[in-house]
Amino acid sequence: MYYWKRIAASAAVVALALAACNGDDADVAVGDDIEEELGDLTITVGSKEFTEQRILGQIAIVALEAAGADVRDETGIEGTPAVRSALETGEIDLYWEYTGTGWSAILGHEIAEAPTDTQELYEAVREEDAENGIIWFDPAPVNNTYAIASAPGVASGLGVSTLSDYADLVRDNPEEASLCAAAEFLVRDDGLPGMEETYDFEMPSGQVEEMELGIIHTRLPQSDPCNFGEVFATDGQIITNELEVLEDDQGAFPPYNLAVTVREDVYDEAGEALEELFNPITAALTDELLREMNARSADDPGFEDEIAEEFLRDHGFID
Amino acid sequence: MRPGRRRRSLAGYLTMPAFLAAVLLALWAWVNAQTLDSIERRRANMDFIITATREHIALTFTSTLIVLMISIPVGIMLTRPWARGITPPAVAVFNIGVAIPSIGLVTIFALVWDLGFWPMVAALVAYAALPVLRNTMVGLQQVDAAVIESARGMGMTKRAVLTKIEMPLAVPVMLAGIRTALVINVGTAALATFIAGGGLGGILVVGISQGRQLLVIVGAVLIAVLALLIDYLAGLAEDVLRPRGL
Repeated sequence: MYYWKRIAASAAVVALALAACNGDDADVAVGDDIEEELGDLTITVGSKEFTEQRILGQIAIVALEAAGADVRDETGIEGTPAVRSALETGEIDLYWEYTGTGWSAILGHEIAEAPTDTQELYEAVREEDAENGIIWFDPAPVNNTYAIASAPGVASGLGVSTLSDYADLVRDNPEEASLCAAAEFLVRDDGLPGMEETYDFEMPSGQVEEMELGIIHTRLPQSDPCNFGEVFATDGQIITNELEVLEDDQGAFPPYNLAVTVREDVYDEAGEALEELFNPITAALTDELLREMNARSADDPGFEDEIAEEFLRDHGFID
Repeated sequence: MRPGRRRRSLAGYLTMPAFLAAVLLALWAWVNAQTLDSIERRRANMDFIITATREHIALTFTSTLIVLMISIPVGIMLTRPWARGITPPAVAVFNIGVAIPSIGLVTIFALVWDLGFWPMVAALVAYAALPVLRNTMVGLQQVDAAVIESARGMGMTKRAVLTKIEMPLAVPVMLAGIRTALVINVGTAALATFIAGGGLGGILVVGISQGRQLLVIVGAVLIAVLALLIDYLAGLAEDVLRPRGL
């Protein structure tokens, strides 16, 4: 395993050296006009601290570099409030944000009042945030919302495939419906309380096991101490542990679509070219793709830039 | 001989409970005067606080009881002359728990064993065993050798010397160790919420992760009040248990 990694690494070094001789390691495939406009741009890319955000940050960096921009990497900022204030104060120029987070954490609305329609929520957030001088590019099909999952065979064995089925299970047979969740999911309106309201059930407190998010991942595959657990829709572990994800058939969880957010002065400088660069990339990002990228990164952390580059190459954004 | 500590007056006994009651009352009044959002309401409510407090107390007392059952007999054993050779390695074993940061210790127990109440108790035991062991040993070792000598001279058996002379004389130092263990356990039990062990940490953790200052204050004050209350009760027990004349 290690042996092969070394060979791969050496090959990568040779490839990079060759690319360097050509002047650049990648080129944007879409339009020379973008390269012309972004060629003189100096831009700082940020991201939050978790895997998915680091990968997204690298996707932005690789794409911008390929377009000839001079990019500074400020990815991995801890927490939404910190990365957002970095954007507002100009420490970073752009990062990927989620529409649901924009609505609740950034604009300070009650999540229960969020539009349940993807596009409506996006429009609402985009319009209101424009007053703060932040521009939202087009949203991705990715919806990184909360989800309930079980180990392979557990949910299907209990006849559960949707959250409506799960609500029935809680009512009829609560011992089988035990749920592992982190504190955040248990207290947020868009977490368990919202799910209970939409599906009209009440989780008996004895069937809820509160724990750290990172511990859920280690216990859910063994169905111990609970049959079901909180995950995120784009969690890499859904693939690595072959988890069964329940369908949110009545739309309890609000949409969390991804979009690039930039500050107004950056938008004024090169907004059209940036949109032309990012909108097709954003449109290609799906839950499945992000799950795969997250799973790869979980297996082999620290290579987010390679994962990002491969994604852009596979989809023809760079050559 | 050091002068014996005077027992407190009635007013002295009532000061601490009155102070703690006033703190709780002030906290309650302050929280009631705030407009709570949905997240704050779900944790700063009486049902949650009562359940969490009960879990917190259960964790603290169970773990301290187990610490006493382990550390006192081992401490006595290690001060017997025949155990002199194994004392340093035995103390080193008890040191391991303290050397690992508490959050790491809790995670280790959760990952290699299980989640919930008992793994958390085990982590607390590992964490608080050393102060009780240390104080038991120090308490016994500081007993004047001449006193033991004369007891032996009077024809008392080794067992009688231990139970009638050494142990009573060691009690004040041992009790101080137990108080330390209790206070350590009240604080560390806040981590139980990470591994499905419940407790008041659940209020604090939501406060920190969701940026709700109110919950941070409520959680921290409740844990501090509980720690002071338990320390106070242990102090009462100390007054009762301390042999007369010391």
